[in-house]
Amino acid sequence: MTTLHLLSHSPYGNDRLTSCLRLFGAEDGLLLSGDAVYALQPASAARKALASLPSGAGLYALAEDLQARNIQADDAVTAVDYSTFVALTLRYDKVNSWL
Amino acid sequence: MKFAIALFAAPHQPAARRALRFAQAALADGHEIVRLFFYQDGVHSASSSVVSSQDELDLTAEWRTFVKAHNLDGVVCIAAALRRGVLDTDEATRYGRTAASIEAPWVLSGLGQLHEAVQEADRLICFGGP
Repeated sequence: MTTLHLLSHSPYGNDRLTSCLRLFGAEDGLLLSGDAVYALQPASAARKALASLPSGAGLYALAEDLQARNIQADDAVTAVDYSTFVALTLRYDKVNSWL
Repeated sequence: MKFAIALFAAPHQPAARRALRFAQAALADGHEIVRLFFYQDGVHSASSSVVSSQDELDLTAEWRTFVKAHNLDGVVCIAAALRRGVLDTDEATRYGRTAASIEAPWVLSGLGQLHEAVQEADRLICFGGP
């Protein structure tokens, strides 16, 4: 059973990202949107934390939010549009929004 | 595939726009939306009283147009709406209030509608927070 985690909170405002990573399954996916894409800022503490994701994990970010914040995500991150966002929610068995 | 979409965020929060764009993409890709359920501060996105600045996205109008165009089932949680002063004409009459801001295509109903939608849908996607 795999889960796609949706996170839109900034990594600097609360501990949701940490909680998410604690519960993260080996084949889960993480889609960052809104201020959560700041976790992809190169060399940041949050980006280093994301490097500990399991090798089978998928790491995604909404392209429009990366662009709006001028964040150049590295090659480990897949930038997605809304159509791919929809497809991702179906690729995983469950979707969990970190509200 | 069938989606149920729940919106918890107020219309000025990015999550409310994200929910709309997701819903539009889902239909564009041939999927079905069994129900939209607006809960907590999300009820304001169904209000016809919201006025947006001319140079800003009018999200409540976009939602209304989208729901009408695709004949979707747009449900607003009645308890969450009443406590935020978001009423339809029936509720305004019932409680002696002068303003009603919920009109078609939106309907006020209970949380059971969310539960039922989750049973019918392949996925429940929740949008909330920032």
